[in-house]
Amino acid sequence: MSSLQLKLVSLLVQEHFGDVVEKICTHLLKNGSNNFRSVVSTVKEKPEQVKKALCVLIQHNIVKYGLNKRGMVEYTADVEKALLLVRYPRYIYSAKTLYGDIGELIVEEVLHHGEILMSNVVEKVKVRLKEAMEGNQLEPSAIKDKFIDLVNTHFLQRLPSWSAEDDEESKVIPLIPHLSVSDADLYRIPETAGVTGKRKRPLNDGGRSSKRARSSSVGSEPDQEVPLDDGIYWKVNFERFHRYFRDQDIISAITQRIDKSAGDVVATMLRMSELTTDFMARETKPLSFHDIARQMPKKLENRQLEQYMKLLLDDQTMIVKKYGDAGGGMYEIDLEQASRVICTANIESVVQERFGSKSFRIFKTLLKKKYLEQKQIENFALIPAKEAKELVYQMFAENFITVQEIPRTPDHAPSRTFYLFTVELGQVTFMLAERCYKSLINLMTRRHFESAENKRLIEKEQKVEAITASMQGSGAEPAQLEEIEKTMTQLEKEQLQKYKGRIAKLEQSELQTDKTVFVLNSFILQEAEGRL
Amino acid sequence: MSAEEKQEAPDAMNLEERILELCKQNPDGIADSTLQKELPNVDTRQRVSAVNRLLSSGKIDLVKTSNELVYRLKDPGVVSKIKGADNQERLVYQIIEQSGNKGIWTRDIRLKSNLQLTQLNKILKNLESRKLIKAVKSVGAARKKAYMLFNLTPDPSVTGGTWYSDQEFESEFVEVLNQQCFKFLQQKVESVSALQLDPLLKRNRSFVSPEEVWKFITELRISKVDLSVDDINTILNTLIYDGKVEMTISAGAGTSSSDSSSKLYRAIQPLTQPTGLMRSPCGVCPVFNQCYEGGAISPSTCIYMKEWMDY
Repeated sequence: MSSLQLKLVSLLVQEHFGDVVEKICTHLLKNGSNNFRSVVSTVKEKPEQVKKALCVLIQHNIVKYGLNKRGMVEYTADVEKALLLVRYPRYIYSAKTLYGDIGELIVEEVLHHGEILMSNVVEKVKVRLKEAMEGNQLEPSAIKDKFIDLVNTHFLQRLPSWSAEDDEESKVIPLIPHLSVSDADLYRIPETAGVTGKRKRPLNDGGRSSKRARSSSVGSEPDQEVPLDDGIYWKVNFERFHRYFRDQDIISAITQRIDKSAGDVVATMLRMSELTTDFMARETKPLSFHDIARQMPKKLENRQLEQYMKLLLDDQTMIVKKYGDAGGGMYEIDLEQASRVICTANIESVVQERFGSKSFRIFKTLLKKKYLEQKQIENFALIPAKEAKELVYQMFAENFITVQEIPRTPDHAPSRTFYLFTVELGQVTFMLAERCYKSLINLMTRRHFESAENKRLIEKEQKVEAITASMQGSGAEPAQLEEIEKTMTQLEKEQLQKYKGRIAKLEQSELQTDKTVFVLNSFILQEAEGRL
Repeated sequence: MSAEEKQEAPDAMNLEERILELCKQNPDGIADSTLQKELPNVDTRQRVSAVNRLLSSGKIDLVKTSNELVYRLKDPGVVSKIKGADNQERLVYQIIEQSGNKGIWTRDIRLKSNLQLTQLNKILKNLESRKLIKAVKSVGAARKKAYMLFNLTPDPSVTGGTWYSDQEFESEFVEVLNQQCFKFLQQKVESVSALQLDPLLKRNRSFVSPEEVWKFITELRISKVDLSVDDINTILNTLIYDGKVEMTISAGAGTSSSDSSSKLYRAIQPLTQPTGLMRSPCGVCPVFNQCYEGGAISPSTCIYMKEWMDY
């Protein structure tokens, strides 16, 4: 956790949940685990406010609670989880590409609420779709089906819930609730869930458990409406999305390097291992040639597939490996290698863009040859000594390459020391991730700045729009509407247009930068995993 | 007295010829002791004076081998070349000759010959004007002059190899070759992909051996210097470091070369698009590290960002 990450999180939380929540989140991050009392006393907010803020943070999975050694409830914030806030648009977008508009809306709603009942999602999406489509009725079951699809493909998962026993039977109310969900239930839709109908529940049955709600007979007292699937909350499974992003990256890399069909082969292999392979695994489970051939969406001739497998095996990225000869050849995808190759390609492109082609050549020479002296770099890269020195030192100054000193004598005299340049991939990755965070901070700060600059204009536009809408509703004359329109001058309109363009550009850039963060972080994670 | 002298003169001439004869038979040089054995009836004084005469007239050389001094017949060409040169000039010439095609610096000549700097300079100038030696500038140390015999081609370590002319690295030349080689490889890939081939065959056909590239470059006539296949290999290696080309080693049959294994090159596509970070102005910002909110350089007032947003 770096100070840059902290800063970014505070910006993100503020943007999504407001000032109070931001204050509490930052406090928790800076001071580590804290109990409720000390949070209240340090942030100087009303206890109810703090309670609400913690609720929001817990609901969005940013803050966790637990008991400390002395048996007090403590709250802990998680930077990694909070940083995912940047990526929300990307999750929504990929849901759209996979499951269409309905999928997009479902994921959007779930992300928006953090955790939510299935029936609520269906209801909300229905209302929003109705607005968007204006009259075109949609099958109500379509939304439910999509939701079930998303759950079946593990993009959504069930939250742990109250287990039935510690409901009323236990007399002592525990300090923290014991929530649990069995692995089998994680992606299972209960039969009753998703039925949009409401069921009346008698007041005296105050049980929170869904089982109880279901088991009790249809209530006679029409006091409180409770959805049928009460207690079964759903959230977005970020890991599953990350796996999808990573797989997309691998497929696009292979497609770039070989061709579309090779990309399809790898896509098939990744799809087949989706459910069998752990997210952080180093390689997928081996797949037999025949299985791959059967699973290919577009039938390739066996002979052609064989050739593609050979091409993939021979490729110098070495993403696809051969595991054995059984079943017409067993193949696996080296996920660790893939993440390394893709991360390296991204780092290389940073060097290429930032320092130019010649520096890129030097950088890649160092990557290939590991340790080189200045003179050797010049010879390999065929760059004149003077220029090469400048380029190397420039990259050295910006921490892209490092120096290994090897003294010939114990006194480390410069004249009797070899200076070997090298690239420490892990270190460069960390450094670039930090850079990305700073860029994100900069972009967001600028976006806030632009909004503040044009605050008056934005408010005016909103007011004009509100008036126009209300007048249209009450059936006003077109001339009147025009008059209202005219309160915005041409200049103001242009300025507003410009402002919107700027914001769009900044937001797009934030998303792109986050893509880099994702690639770099998956490499760091994979490396850390490998070292364990 | 006079009669005695007269008698000795032909004897001396005879002796000199015999020594020369012996030297001719032993091109590796002949030691004094061997000479003594070969000429048993000549006394030491006579032999020494004969050898001295031969040495001073430049017909033989006194050369030091690992453990003893030997006499060696001098190259008649050289003798005629430096005819008319005095002892000192000859000495300098010999020192330079020994250095071969690596050349020798003035300072080293001075140390070896024990001559004064001014005197040496005069001699060097003299020899240079008679086209016996030439001065070559070393690529490692541009200000030091190295001397070598006129007819020698300097060693690559002195000139820096193919990529240097006049001690200057010809980066433009390298750049042009780099581009042309890449173009050739790319054309190959394109021409192959135009054919409807199996994927495997398509890849295998797009590989090119360095010999083919060499032929292409030679036919282009862009180089004034004669390039060797090794030079082309060096250029192709830079393309690998550029990430534009990959190299594979093919073993045995199927290649045009007769070697048991040879390198093959192929143009490739980069693995990814430019990464997202570099598409924002912060990615290429030169003052990124000095930038913070509230400072002289800050994201709110950033002019790069302003330009980029309004672009």
